[in-house]
Formats: sequence, C-alpha cells, structure tokens
Amino acid sequence: MKIVVLVKQVPDSGVERTLRVDDNTVDRGSAGNVINEMDEYAIEEALRLREAHGGEVTLLTMGPEKAAESIRKALSMGPDGAVHVLDDALPGSCAPATSKVLAAALTTLEPDLVLCGSESTDGRVQVIPHMLAERLGIAALTGARKLTVDADAVTIERQTEEGYEVIRAATPAIVSVWDTINEPRYPSFKGIKAAKKKPVRTLSLADLGIAADEVGTAGATSEVVSHSRRPPRSGGAKITDEGDGGVRLVEFLATEKFV
Amino acid sequence: MDFDHTPEQEQLRDAVRALGRRYGHPYFVAKAKAGEHTTELWAEAGRLGYLGVNIPAAYGGGGGGITELAIVGEELAAAGCPLLLLVVSPAIAGTILARHGTGDQRDRFLPGLATGAEKIVFAITEPEAGSNFHRLATVARRDGTDWLLSGRKCFISGVDEAQHVLVVARVEASGRLRPALFLVPTDAPGLTRSPLAMEIVSPERQWLLYFDDVRLPAGALIGGDPQASLPALFAGLNPERITVAAMGAGTARYALDRASAYAATRSVWGRPIGAHQGVAHPLAHAAIQLELARLMIGKAAALYDAGRDLEAGVAANLAKYASSEAATLAVDTAIQVHGGNGMTTEYGVATLLGGVRAGRLAPISREMILNFVAQHVLGQEKSY
Repeated sequence: MKIVVLVKQVPDSGVERTLRVDDNTVDRGSAGNVINEMDEYAIEEALRLREAHGGEVTLLTMGPEKAAESIRKALSMGPDGAVHVLDDALPGSCAPATSKVLAAALTTLEPDLVLCGSESTDGRVQVIPHMLAERLGIAALTGARKLTVDADAVTIERQTEEGYEVIRAATPAIVSVWDTINEPRYPSFKGIKAAKKKPVRTLSLADLGIAADEVGTAGATSEVVSHSRRPPRSGGAKITDEGDGGVRLVEFLATEKFV
Repeated sequence: MDFDHTPEQEQLRDAVRALGRRYGHPYFVAKAKAGEHTTELWAEAGRLGYLGVNIPAAYGGGGGGITELAIVGEELAAAGCPLLLLVVSPAIAGTILARHGTGDQRDRFLPGLATGAEKIVFAITEPEAGSNFHRLATVARRDGTDWLLSGRKCFISGVDEAQHVLVVARVEASGRLRPALFLVPTDAPGLTRSPLAMEIVSPERQWLLYFDDVRLPAGALIGGDPQASLPALFAGLNPERITVAAMGAGTARYALDRASAYAATRSVWGRPIGAHQGVAHPLAHAAIQLELARLMIGKAAALYDAGRDLEAGVAANLAKYASSEAATLAVDTAIQVHGGNGMTTEYGVATLLGGVRAGRLAPISREMILNFVAQHVLGQEKSY
C-alpha cells in the first residue's frame, strides 16, 4: 500500500506566536518551528499500517526551505522518503491554492491512502482534506479516532461531539486523524541516523505545472487585512465569602447556564 | 571552534527530552520511595536505542560516541529522571567491552547493552582501598584454566538490577599483583550481597559484595589477558566521568527550571519573588556555573570521541568537578528560592539533595580531582 502523509511545519504552539506586521501572515521566523502536532499522529498511523500491510510511507510537505528540518525530523520516526514542494511563489498561499499544489503533487505520487492531521495548530481551518478530496475525486474521511484498512476500502471511526460515526469508503481516499487515534512513537536513535540518508525530492511549481500567479499572496482568494492582539483577560467576577459564598457561586453558575 | 551539535544530536536531545518528560520526576521519586526501579523508563529508552547510542553499530548499538550518551544522560536528568546505571552499564562497561573485550565477550555482551536488555554494573571500590586500584584486596587466583575470585567491594550501584558485575580485582603476573577485570554473573555461587542503606532518593540501590572463591572460567577475564586490564580500566574512567557530569548538569537544569518557574509565578506583596535581586541573583549565579560546566562536558566528550584520550582525561575531570559543584549549588539554590516548599516532596527539588551531594564524592571526590589538577596540570609534587 502506498501511503502519503501530509506534514506541515508550524510555529511551536508551546511558545508565543505572532503575525507579521507587514502582510499579516504567520511569523515563521520568530518562534521555533516544529512538525504540526496532529501530523505526528497521522505519521504514526501510517507507520502502523505499513507494519500491518506492507507498502511504503511518503511524506508530503509544502513549505519554505526551513521546512526541511521538520521533514528530517518526521522521517526519523520511520517513513521511507519525502517530497518537499518548495517555490519562492508559494508564501502567502490560501487554502484553495495550497490544496491545488498538494493535489498536483499527490497526483504524481499516486497514493492508495492519504493521511493528515485534523488541523494545523497555526491555521486551524480543517478544510484541506475536503478540498483535496474534491480536487482528486476521492473520498474524505475526516476526524478519525480509529482507522482500519481492508482490501480496497478504508473504515474510520469519526469522532463527534456526541460519540462516533463509522464511515467506510473505497480507496484511494484521504483520512484526517485526531490525537485520540494513537500514541506517536519517539524517534529511535537509529531512526534519527537513518533519516539523514532517506530520499527527499524537491518539486517546484513548474514541476507541477502550476503558474506562479495561481498561488501565494498574488493568487490568494482571501487576505487577512488587519490583526490585533487579543485584549488582556478582564478581571471576571470576584465573590468574597461573607457566609453566602456558596450560594452566590451557584447563582453565578446558574446565570451562565453551567448548572 | 564549533559549539553546535549536529542536527542528529539535536534530534536525539529533543527525542530523549520528550520521553523523559512523559515519565517525569514524580515517577522517579515514586519508584525510589517504593524501593522499586525505573524499569519502564529504562526499557523504553533502551528499545529506542538511547541507552546504547555509544555501542558499536555492528552489535546493534547506535554507533555514536560519548557525546551522544552524555546528551541522553543529561536530558533524562533534566526531565527529573537521572538514571545512574546509564553511567555504569553503557558508559563504563560498554566502553570497556567495545574497546578491550575479546571477540567472544563483545558478541556475548554488547547486543544486550545496545538495547538495555542487559545491565552490567561496575565494582571497583573497596572498604580499605577506596578506588586506588593498586591497593585492591580483591584477588583472583588461577585454578587450572579457571579463576577463583575472593574479596569484597562496597558502594556498588544497581547489583540487584544487573545480570553481570564487572569486577576490578588483582591477579599475580610476573611475581607481582596487577589489576585485572572480570565479568561475574550476579548469581554466581560464592557471590553474596547486602544492601547499604543510603540517604539518597534513588531507584538504584547501593550494595556491599562478598566474593568467596567465586569460580570463573578463563573467558571471564576482560581481553583474555591480565595485560589488557589496565588500559581497559582506564578506557572506562573517562566515559564514566563525562556521563556522570552530564547527569549532574541535567539535574541542575531540572532544579533551576523548577526554581525559575516558581520565582516567576510566586507572588508576594504584589510582585513575583524573582523580581527581587536577592532571589534572582543566586539563580543567575547558579545558571552561569551550570553553563560553564556544560561547556566543559561538551569539550571533554568531543575530545574523547576524537580519540584524544590524554586531553580528554583532563577535560573529563574538570567537567566532573564543575558539574558536581554546579549541581550542588543549583539544587541548594532551588530549595532556598522555594522557601519551606523547597523541602516538601511535592515540589520535587529536595528529593535531589542526596544525589547531587553524592556527586561531589563519587565516582571520584572533588579532592582527588584537585590533586589530579595540582599534579598533572600544575606540575606540583604528588601529595599522597
């Protein structure tokens, strides 16, 4: 089975992240950059599928030169190789443009299964799997907490607010996963050393037959026109206990419809 | 001069840190207080190849050096889980076997050390001789092709967790006694042990060992020849000092992390206590001592891995000295910054006291390092 895992490099969500003042895009220079946390679960799931069914796992990243660090790091978990879509015209790409580029790259890779995290910790729009499914004419099974593959089909348990739904589709398909699906492995020291030698193929927009003005800030269908910092948290209600503290606490909770 | 680790070494650091944090100091303390071992952490770190980073790749190890093993030791300690047996099993025994073991000994023991599945502890110290191997009273006599080992050892870490103990004894060769190293199964007939009660919060216990004519086959002698033993013994000492220094530096980092977080958030009279120089300066001072020690650890490991043993010997001693002093200072400062909370189990800093204090005594005391520097670096007459 050929599995492609979408991996995105994002600013470390453990430290303060900012938007750039000049073009309102994510400032990727200010904080440490890491693999999008949810993608690690997708990589883990792909590796487990490879262990169970054989095949190969390829990572697909669209990102700046610096994303190569995250690719090596992701490879140290065990995937076989990676494809890095790298082009000066890409920064500022909106979700439709990103999906156009990734779909073109996926077409060259011909996967049986595409895995990705349910969201990225920077953008958090959750639309890429759907857009890719639309562009590639395959099924999108999103929000998986469990995944099984048999013959030519994939079945997931889709996590919902109330419980879960069981969804089944023919492959090829794209599946996005939540962090409830598994516990990602730590890279072994051998994995770290092996990652250095694994093939990473770089593709440009020209390689994918996409014009520069279809992507990036130039081709963006949406634009963040301004941003401001979240105002500091206000004081909230303070209840001083004068014998009736408990009652007033419950009254507050009742007003807010918590009880 | 290049102060950067390679990307692979940085990845190793990140990976070990993540693993260590999942266990954390409360795990370590709970195991120690229950008289249990950090079995799960050891097994997982071993499976991931972190404990065998320095074991040659031909035997299933990582093929890295002491630099990598020091990274592993430091990061686990910085996560609140200093693993003492890392200093003993892969650092000392692993190095000695890889560099001076016979082919059979390497085949038999290195794969187990590479995965952490087997542990070999190290016994040199004796009640009368300390670590002065010229005065060791544990002696092996020939009996046919076998050896009979007799004597006693003290302060031997983790014997109850290990399958073998690497014993420094003496044998008679050309009319005089010279050091010789033997691999002894911990369940060998004639070997008995009793625990030595210590005031250290540690999952690794200390033991007294008694050897009463323990019969060993010829293959138990490291290198197969008593002549091989002195270089073998020396080969193990630098990795021991460098990794123990790394463990101390990691412990210091852990303590300073805790203290800095506390000082930045604990508010008295409307300001965090860290805003007061009386609190901030001791922390800054400890942080400086720690970083200086870490630099020397990195230098010692780099020299050792470059095969520059003589220079590494000096650097390893300096690193060990600096690290144990910095760790003692960092833990003491962290406790002081925490006030009364510093002595509680919950805040997890006083639990490090015994460990860092022992670090000023073992595996080599600060005084013996001062002697070494006075004699070998400054050219002074030997004082003992």
